[in-house]
Amino acid sequence: MAEDITTLITGLGFPSVEAFIALLIIAIAVIALIAVISTIRPVLSMYPYTYPNARVRARKGRLFTDKQYTEILESQSLEEVKNYLRGIPDYTKYIDEFPLEKALDTQLAETYDLVARIAPDNSKDAFNFLLKKWDIRNIKSIIIAKEAGLDADETMNLLVPFGELSDKLNTLVDAENVTEVLNGLEGTDYAPILEDALPVYQETGILLPLEASLDKYLLENLLRTAATPEDDNTAYLHEYIGNIVDISNIKIILRAKADGLNFEDIEPYMISNGYQVREWKLKDLMESEDVAGVVNGLEGTDYAPMLSESLNDYQETGSIATFETALDHHVNETANRISLKNQFGIGPMIGYLNKKEKEIKNLKTIVRGKKEQDLSTSVIKEMLV
Amino acid sequence: MAEIVLGTALAAIGAGLAVGMAGLGSGIGQGIAAAGSVGAVAEDEDMFARGIIFTALPETQAIYGFLIAILLMVFSGIMGAPKELAVTSGLAAIGAGAAVGFAGLGSGMGQGITASSAVGAVVENEDMFARGIIFTALSETQAIYGFLIAILLMVFGGIMGG
Repeated sequence: MAEDITTLITGLGFPSVEAFIALLIIAIAVIALIAVISTIRPVLSMYPYTYPNARVRARKGRLFTDKQYTEILESQSLEEVKNYLRGIPDYTKYIDEFPLEKALDTQLAETYDLVARIAPDNSKDAFNFLLKKWDIRNIKSIIIAKEAGLDADETMNLLVPFGELSDKLNTLVDAENVTEVLNGLEGTDYAPILEDALPVYQETGILLPLEASLDKYLLENLLRTAATPEDDNTAYLHEYIGNIVDISNIKIILRAKADGLNFEDIEPYMISNGYQVREWKLKDLMESEDVAGVVNGLEGTDYAPMLSESLNDYQETGSIATFETALDHHVNETANRISLKNQFGIGPMIGYLNKKEKEIKNLKTIVRGKKEQDLSTSVIKEMLV
Repeated sequence: MAEIVLGTALAAIGAGLAVGMAGLGSGIGQGIAAAGSVGAVAEDEDMFARGIIFTALPETQAIYGFLIAILLMVFSGIMGAPKELAVTSGLAAIGAGAAVGFAGLGSGMGQGITASSAVGAVVENEDMFARGIIFTALSETQAIYGFLIAILLMVFGGIMGG
C-alpha cells in the first residue's frame, strides 16, 4: 500500500513523499486558519453581551407577574402597597428611604444606571446618554415646583437621586425662582438649551417651551448617538430609539391638530429628524388640516395601520388617547420583537428596559389609584398596561 | 533523544491538532458560558451551582482532544516504548487529530453559546434547567462523532491495535 501511495504521489509530479507531506501540512494549516477565523468572528461579536444579558434576564425574571399585580391590587391601603413592595428585593432598598412614587422612580433610574454600566462599548454611548433622562426629569420637576410654589422638602420628594446633576440638586432646589434655577445650571449642557427658551417663558409665564426644549435635546441627541449603526446591535438600538422619537413627534402633532393648532405653533416642539418620519414628512404632517389628515399622511410607515384602526374610535369619542395607546403599544411590540430577534446582542437589554418602564408605570398607576379612595380595584386594573 | 521517524512526527502534528483545535473551541465556548454564568450569579447567588454545570459542559471537547492526543503520542512512539510509525499511519494520525480537533472546535463554541443562553433562561425561569441542559447537550454530538472517527482512524490506520 505504501508503494502505491508513493507511486501516486510521484505520478502527481511531487519530487518526493516528503514534499507532498509538507504541502499537505501547509494545506491543513491554511484550512485550520480559515475555519478558526470564520467561526470565531461571529462568536466574538456575541461575547461582550453574554454577561450583561444574563444580568438583565435575571432581572427580567423578577419583573411583576400577573399574580403579583392581582395581589398588590388587592391591597386595601397605600400602607399595604408599601408593605407588599417592601417584600420585593429590588424595591426594599428605596421603600423606607423615599415616598412611594419617588422610590419607584429611583428604582427605575437605578436600573438604567446598571444597564449603562454593564452595556458593551459599542452601545455604551447611547445608554449613557439615556441617563440624562433623569437630569432632565429633575430639572423639569424643579421648575414646575418653583412655579407651583412648593417648598424645598416637597420639591426634593419629586426628584430622583440619579444623573449627572445629583450633586447639584440641593443648590437648584434652594433657588428662589425659575430664572435662578436656570442660572444654577450654568456650566452644564442644559444651560444653553434653556437660555434659548427662556425669553418665551419670561414673556408668557408658560413652562412648556422650557420643558419641550429639554425633551427635544434628549431625544435628538439620543437618536444621534445611535445614528451610525456599526453592526446589528447598534442598528436595532437605532430602530428602537428612532421609533420612540417618531412616536413622540406623532403624538405632539396629533394633540396639536386635535386642538386646532397650526404649523407655526407645533414646529418649535418637533424633533427635527426622525426614523421613519423624516423632516420633509414631518413638515407635511404639521401642515395637515386635521387629525385624519395626519393619519393619512403617515401612509407607507409602520404607524399607519394602527392609527387608521384607531381613527374610528377617535371620530366617535373625540379623544386622542386611542392613538396614544396604539403608539405606546407599538413601541412595546418593537422592543419585544428586537429582544427575540437579537437574543445574543442588545435585544434582551432593550426588551428589559421597556418591560421595566411598563412595570413602574403600572405600579405608579396602582399607587395613584389607591390614593384616590373612590377608585375600585377593577377600574385600576383596567388602567394597567 | 531517540530519533523520530517521519510517521511519528506526523502523528505528533495530529496530536497537536487534536488538543489545540478542540481546546480552542472548548475554551471559547467555556468563556462564553462562564461570562453568562457570572452575570447570572451577580444577580442571584443561588445560580452558582447551576452556572458551574453549564460552564463545565463545553469542557468535554477539550477532554476528547486531550485523550486522542495522549493515545497518538503513546501509540506512535513519542511516549512510552519506542516505535517507528509508518508514514501512512502518520497521515492517518493527522486525520484523527483533525477529526476530533475541528469537531471539538465547532461543538465547543456552539455548546458555549447554548449554555450561556440556557443560563439566561434558567436565571429568568428556574423551570428551564432540565430543558436548558438538553438543548446544551445536543451540541455534544458533533464532538462525539469526531472522537469516534478519530478512534476508528487510529484502529484501522495501523496506529492502535497492531
